[in-house]
Amino acid sequence: MSNLFEHSGAIGKGYSQPEPLLPAHSIGLPENLTRKKAARWPRLSEPEMVRHYTWLSKRNFGIDTGFYPLGSCTMKHNPRINEVIAQLPGIADIHPHQPEHHVQGLLSIFHEMQEMLEICAGMDQVTLQPVAGAQGEFTAVRCIQEYFKSRGETQRTKVLVPDSAHGTNPASAAMAGFEIVEIPSREDGRIDLDAIAAAVDEQTAIMMITNPNTLGLFEPEIAQAAEIVHQAGGQMYYDGANFNAILGITSPGLMGFDAVHYNLHKTFSQPHGGGGPGSGPIGVKEHLAEYLPGPIVKKRPIMAGEEVYAIDDLWYGWYQPANSIGKVQQWHGNAGAVVRSWAYYRRFGNGLRTMSQHAVLNSNYLRHAIFREAKKAGVDDMFCDGAPTTVAKHEFTLSLLPAKEKYGITAMDVAKGLLDKGYMAPTVYFPLVVPECMMIEPTETESKEVLDTFANHFVEVLQVDAETLHAAPISTPVRRVDEVYAARNLCLRHPFEEDEQ
Amino acid sequence: MTGTRTVKHTPRRGVVIIMVDQLPNLGREQEMLAEMGLAHIDDLFSDIPPHVRMQGDLPLRGPQSEEEIIADANRLLGSNVALGDRVSFLGAGLYRNYIPAAVFAMITRGEFLTAYTPYQPEVSQGMLQAMWEFQTLLSELLGLPIANLSLYDGSSASAEALTCAVRVHNRKATQKNVVYVSQLITPDKISVMQNYCQGGGIEIRMLKHNGDGTINLESAKEAAGSCGVYVEQPNPIGILDGGIPLLKEIIGPNTALIVGVQPVSLGVVEAPGNYGADMVVGEGQPLGSPITAGGPLYGIFACSKPYLRLMPGRIVGRSIDVDGKVAYCLTLSTREQHIRRHRATSNICTNETLIALMGAMHMALLGPEGLNHLAVRNMTACILAKQKLSEIQTIALPHIGSHHFNEFVVELPGKAKDCLDYLDENGIVGGFNLNSWYSNRTNWLLVTVTDQTKAEEIELLAAHLALWSSKAVAA
Repeated sequence: MSNLFEHSGAIGKGYSQPEPLLPAHSIGLPENLTRKKAARWPRLSEPEMVRHYTWLSKRNFGIDTGFYPLGSCTMKHNPRINEVIAQLPGIADIHPHQPEHHVQGLLSIFHEMQEMLEICAGMDQVTLQPVAGAQGEFTAVRCIQEYFKSRGETQRTKVLVPDSAHGTNPASAAMAGFEIVEIPSREDGRIDLDAIAAAVDEQTAIMMITNPNTLGLFEPEIAQAAEIVHQAGGQMYYDGANFNAILGITSPGLMGFDAVHYNLHKTFSQPHGGGGPGSGPIGVKEHLAEYLPGPIVKKRPIMAGEEVYAIDDLWYGWYQPANSIGKVQQWHGNAGAVVRSWAYYRRFGNGLRTMSQHAVLNSNYLRHAIFREAKKAGVDDMFCDGAPTTVAKHEFTLSLLPAKEKYGITAMDVAKGLLDKGYMAPTVYFPLVVPECMMIEPTETESKEVLDTFANHFVEVLQVDAETLHAAPISTPVRRVDEVYAARNLCLRHPFEEDEQ
Repeated sequence: MTGTRTVKHTPRRGVVIIMVDQLPNLGREQEMLAEMGLAHIDDLFSDIPPHVRMQGDLPLRGPQSEEEIIADANRLLGSNVALGDRVSFLGAGLYRNYIPAAVFAMITRGEFLTAYTPYQPEVSQGMLQAMWEFQTLLSELLGLPIANLSLYDGSSASAEALTCAVRVHNRKATQKNVVYVSQLITPDKISVMQNYCQGGGIEIRMLKHNGDGTINLESAKEAAGSCGVYVEQPNPIGILDGGIPLLKEIIGPNTALIVGVQPVSLGVVEAPGNYGADMVVGEGQPLGSPITAGGPLYGIFACSKPYLRLMPGRIVGRSIDVDGKVAYCLTLSTREQHIRRHRATSNICTNETLIALMGAMHMALLGPEGLNHLAVRNMTACILAKQKLSEIQTIALPHIGSHHFNEFVVELPGKAKDCLDYLDENGIVGGFNLNSWYSNRTNWLLVTVTDQTKAEEIELLAAHLALWSSKAVAA
């Protein structure tokens, strides 16, 4: 149970580096610029460092460890070839300020990704610059803001967001300076056209929606919703968090959206890395393209003298949109994530539809298997669909409200019980519109056997008595963590003994 | 137990075979559908109305096998000029470094690589503890008590620090919704700041500089009463500015001093927290991360206590479990978007945890003496380069009297662009053309050296600069 700072070794231990080019005393910094007290970092030899982080890794759960049905997060397998490619010097050892002729190969990959994302979403222009979904949202909202400014429609200050939306939607819009109008969902979890019609007016700037929605249900009236918003002069924004369900089947463009963000760390297998990095490109329709952050990659036929650097007789160059909002990241976005996602895309190509079909197949199969096993075990009275539906998309929600009312078993109890069975727990208590919500997304990379076994284990957990479940988990590295204690007794860094005295 | 994976029908030759390594249920669709009482996979999409259906196949290339993908990656990425293939003096915010092999070995462990945000702390103790340790490593390095788990990059960290300063100080500020930023800050970073600030109606004013590249302390007095001041140490042209430690005194307690740092420099240079900085931000890349064409990187964010409850980003706290055992969890989440929604302190959700973890691992391997040594290597390389280039009569070093870290300005007798083209033809990535930052400086070249720069590379650059500049003077 030791942390890094309890390892500290003897002074001078733990590093090996070449000598400096000049002796240290040649630095000659004045006193007020010179560091007086060294950082109290540990002094680890390599074997100690490797053991420490190996030990920590064994106390962490990833997709590689086991089934990770975390709804809304699309925890699919991360192919390892992506990691190999991202370490090639042609990406890892590239500086974003290198001239175009140094990076034709990389720019061709950027261009291929822009084009592929445009095709999949039915958009006209993609920028790869935003580095996360939330940053993509913010970027698109900013572009739309500038679009309205250019049309003199500065009175459009309101952004409509369904009550089931991801928290980033209202947060991103508010950060850009918009006022948020929350639209209540219908009883069945779908958007309410009447509520949208009642909310839109000449102040409406944007409606932000994800489809399939956060309950994993397709919004069949999405085109009508888009029409209502467009009629009022507003723009439609598509939150791409749930894009994994619909590639090659439908597209935000077909549904009537004007702008969209993609989560390459969900749909295109960039590993989540315990919380990031991600990549959140955005795509827009033609009328918004001039506001995108640059640079964006364009291609043209080569000119004389360029043959030596060119890829397939094409020249890839950076291009600045005419009325760009400027930058949201200092460089060209998370290029490493784009390259990993490119490798993933290449694996499927036009078979991306098959990928989405399997994501939806697995989700529906798991939903079916859970109900099937629950019925067999006689515990199907403990939960119900988060919203009524015949088919789900890539994820589905269950409400554990009956279990809570009948037996005092909460969604959190079931989640902790699943940890004891060796799974990552599904997302709980989101979306907020479903009481005692459990949101389950298996992804396409799980086998039928895994899904069947999980369904069995899920039902086994429901059969455990409330008291035992309240005490779960018992087999994890630590048991239920006291989050209230953490907030009341803030300890945000290692307390060194000498500071305590 | 494993079902048969025999492919029963092949809609397009080769396609199924290739994708089967990622889709375990390929070929088992009928079996699964039948159990659900469905006949065809399209039945799962019956809720999607025909008028929004895509017609036909995606107009994209066919699937590839792993072997074909790596071959294409090698062909495309292999055609790039990697900095390691050349002699390079390009930095300007991102710095070539050496990352110990153990960092890559540990970071690619699937338990770290393939985990999501640690929402279930009982099975995420590894990453939570590693990030709590990261917070401590940064806190020690920067001289401030609080650090978060990373923001996207140095630019978003600086932009978020400005909006945080306004949240904290605006009520008492005499210059409401105003922040000051050093005029030398790169336009790309200022652009990011403007995007983050405009929503809150925050005005960014420029802090003037002296001819020697240091902050004009007299004009810094104007910033007193505003919400915050952002400067960089070293500044964007590599100068270590002795005036920066005096700034807090000048702007006073009600204006946040925000200092952007190159973290490696803090092995020799005073930590901003020790001279009154309220927030320290920076590009974490030189500790633990390759440049990777500009991302993923990690933004450093640290602050003092008054900013804690209004700061952006995730933070880990040490707690206990029900048995009283030490345990870690995310804390102060009520600032964040998933709870506070449009009233959150930031919209950030996904951050750069894995890259921050690379940073933590690198820091853990360096130790305090290792960091000092690394900083000395960077700094002495810079001193040597300045010495060698100052011997060339036809070029000038306008800030030669200053102390530099990593980089310095060379004033050429001709356009920096032409010089860079010449150097490129000779296999040298010669530096950064400062004309793209400062429109009135067509002849300024920013030359960067790091711990990776060798003495003979500096000699080579000096020889070529002498040759080019003597020709330029003659012309």
